[in-house]
Amino acid sequence: MREEHGNVAPVMIAKGEDPGDVRTDVPYQLMTILSNLYPWMSDGKKIAVLTRRCDEKALAEIFKRGYFDRARIVQIGLACSKEQIAACRCSDPVPSTVDIGEPHAGVGSDALSEKLMNMSSEERLRFWIYQFRKCNKCFACTANCPVCFCDECVLEERTFVPERGVPPGMSFHLIRAYHLADKCIECGECERSCPAGIPLLTFRKLVAKDFRDMYKFSPGDDKNVSPLLTTLEGEALEGDECNEC
Amino acid sequence: MTEFKPTILAFCCNWCSYAGADLAGVSRLQMPTNVHVVRVMCSASVKPEYVMKAISQGIDGVLVLGCHIGDCHYMTGNHRTAKRIPVVQKILKDVGIDEKRVRLDWVSAAEGEKFQKVITEFVDEVAKLGPNPLREVAF
Amino acid sequence: MPRIGVFICHCGHNIASTVSVEEVAKFAATLPGVVIADHNLYSCSEEGLNSIRKSIEQNKLDRVVVAACTPRTHEPLFRSVCEQAGVNKYLFEFVNIREHCSWIHAKEPSSATEKAKRLVAMGVSKAALLEPQTEGESNVIPAALVIGGGLAGLRATASLAAQGIETHLIEKEPRLGGLLNDITTLAPYSESADTLLQELVDEVRGSKRAHIHLNSKLRGLTGFVGNFKATLDEAGKKKEIEIGAIIVATGANELQPEGEYGYGSVPGVVTQLEFERTLKRGEKPGDTVFIQCVGSRQPGREYCSRICCNTSLKNALKVLEAGGTATIIHRDIMSYGTVWEEMYRKASEKGVRFIRYTLNDIPHVRSHASGTAVDVFDETLGERIHLDANRVVLATPLISQKDSAEVGKLLKVPRDKHGFFLEAHVKLRPVEFATDGVFICGTARWPSSVRETLSQALGAAAKAAIPIKRGKVVIESITAWADPDKCAACGNCVASCPYEAIEILEQDGKRVAKVNETQCKGCGTCVAACPNDAMQQRGFTTRQLSAMIDSLVKHALEESP
Repeated sequence: MREEHGNVAPVMIAKGEDPGDVRTDVPYQLMTILSNLYPWMSDGKKIAVLTRRCDEKALAEIFKRGYFDRARIVQIGLACSKEQIAACRCSDPVPSTVDIGEPHAGVGSDALSEKLMNMSSEERLRFWIYQFRKCNKCFACTANCPVCFCDECVLEERTFVPERGVPPGMSFHLIRAYHLADKCIECGECERSCPAGIPLLTFRKLVAKDFRDMYKFSPGDDKNVSPLLTTLEGEALEGDECNEC
Repeated sequence: MTEFKPTILAFCCNWCSYAGADLAGVSRLQMPTNVHVVRVMCSASVKPEYVMKAISQGIDGVLVLGCHIGDCHYMTGNHRTAKRIPVVQKILKDVGIDEKRVRLDWVSAAEGEKFQKVITEFVDEVAKLGPNPLREVAF
Repeated sequence: MPRIGVFICHCGHNIASTVSVEEVAKFAATLPGVVIADHNLYSCSEEGLNSIRKSIEQNKLDRVVVAACTPRTHEPLFRSVCEQAGVNKYLFEFVNIREHCSWIHAKEPSSATEKAKRLVAMGVSKAALLEPQTEGESNVIPAALVIGGGLAGLRATASLAAQGIETHLIEKEPRLGGLLNDITTLAPYSESADTLLQELVDEVRGSKRAHIHLNSKLRGLTGFVGNFKATLDEAGKKKEIEIGAIIVATGANELQPEGEYGYGSVPGVVTQLEFERTLKRGEKPGDTVFIQCVGSRQPGREYCSRICCNTSLKNALKVLEAGGTATIIHRDIMSYGTVWEEMYRKASEKGVRFIRYTLNDIPHVRSHASGTAVDVFDETLGERIHLDANRVVLATPLISQKDSAEVGKLLKVPRDKHGFFLEAHVKLRPVEFATDGVFICGTARWPSSVRETLSQALGAAAKAAIPIKRGKVVIESITAWADPDKCAACGNCVASCPYEAIEILEQDGKRVAKVNETQCKGCGTCVAACPNDAMQQRGFTTRQLSAMIDSLVKHALEESP
């Protein structure tokens, strides 16, 4: 990233160019940008990219789906600062190789998640309705998401999101939560980019915890297939016996 | 005050549950009038999006019924259903909607009585939960 | 705007006595796109079908909704009427207001009527979005598989082979014939069971088309009507065969009593089949007491095994012929029909003694100095009676085969709570399973007599020959397809498909999912796996099903008081 006119924005540096004054201290979803650029970078040359731990996981999800040629990507490991870790309530902040920055331990919990799960369901629903009413369906959350792979989002259509106007109803957020259940790498970009300030990362973390508890699966690992895509072979199911036969 | 009668949507797979529902009918097994069956070929074709949509629009409960595990007409179709629906339930719980509003169960073509039992139990359970809180919420 | 016709069926009183058909029709007429809503006494009758056909033509309908019974039996009929009237059969939608409404809400006519309206509204909203489809065809492998080499399997094999169809008969035992091997004579005319069996075996063995696999079991099955591939275990060797149709003739077994009525402890107590074997060996039966309904028609096994009364009557007459006395202790003599009732009368006249017992006071069997004794409370006389016997025959029911669950799972066909296989419809499709190309006959379905078994076997063979003789089967157009504009090639569908029918291909410079429609079986698993609604199933599109949900919301929540 480089600062220009008081804003920090991603920058692409070609081989042999002087990188100049680059910044690494501002969180940015480079994998989303790389996904958008990748089809145009058809020269087959290698691409180095600044990679936090969450980016590494996003890359794993991207590799798994065959969107990038693994051999072309060179990761420059970036360890996040203490402040950043706190802002992301991140429990897993250290990339496999640290090239830039000092590794810091993750934080164990998300205060809002805990507060929400201690509420009654009525209170929790009231909380989320209040939050989701702020949504103006700008699609910043999907546009900036590194693991949203569709060109056009189904939530833009009225098949499942029947509301004509803004805000969209609950289905918009529920369906997005389901779509991300087995791939969200908790980078927090949706929350950061949401102009309405909806605590979307907390919502992601709640679902991610459930998913982990149920299936012992966390997204961001390119060796394991999502449990939603596998069968039940070898898994015990309760109460599935047919009592009649 | 009149008794609350929930509105329930049920997805039944063509091969087992829909046939089980037919058998319940042929056997004249009586059950509440709240449940509306939509026939699909396999429980695995039930998009979680349908469930989310129905609940968001105020439907009080959604049932997804398929063949017993091992009996799926499409070999492992219902394995996917068994994986997906619990995720739907958890997401609902996370936003404060009772996950009991969505139920996944297995009803074979021979289980007319089980169909009746599942319907009756589910209607009772959802009636106890009261109207879907999203019914009255204007976004 | 589509032109939808809605036809509500009274089904005589079946629907109309609970649901106000007129009211539903009146309501249906107000739904968007509906140009005519009518009702018929029996929509499936000649008259009903004609009136639907006329209405399609007169009103220039392009979508047809029938609200009646279940699509599982009647959809083909109404689809063909649509076709006759020039409407593509995939523009037809069935709404079930009998099995799913009137029959299960018999005491709530007004709620049932309201529910029927909502179901019709949901059907109409789906119908408006239906699209015409063209059906594919697939070739049929001109061969059949018969599972089970007993009476039913032999008869079916002989019949198929005689029609010129290559037929594989698999039998798990080392010999053909099943239960028939143990039987002496057949009621009511005392033909020799051996003769019947020998004739059938000779016919099968003499046919070039019939291929017998002994010591063989079905281990795996893939494919669909016309194109099945079966994996056999033939005496320990794996073998693969390809067939177009399958007949299940796996038979049944006699229930072995577990110590009841002195079985296993009191000498002379045998089951009916064991008794048949002693008769076959030429042993003199002596004084014989038959106890009926041992282990049947009681809690846990409620069904009547149908053949035991007639078998006991037949064997009681044999006992008399051999100079013994015969007593039948029964709960009711089920000698239904003409010839069996005649045999019952004959047995009474010739001196077979009948004693009626109830479940409250069942006969007691014990050892006795001179042999075996039975104490029984005669319900008719109101007295306790003591009987001496050389033999006590326990008429136990036929029960389903132990491995019927395994066969059911391999073939994906249902069984009832007693483990007997379930046909598609008792009256409309008696020897067929709901799965196309798979048929059922004999005692694998329920206990049946030799005559019934033979008729069923011939029926199943005739049914199985239909697709084979036609040479082609029509593939219902319910396959999936991917919209290339929406597909992001994420591969969820590829990973979810149970048939490996989807692959990611490059098309116009873009990677997209492509469904191989000959491999697709129309389960729709990929549809649910697709995050972007790119994957659709014909006849069950996400727009169609979402419209049904919207319709339910509208009619149940928004417009209800």
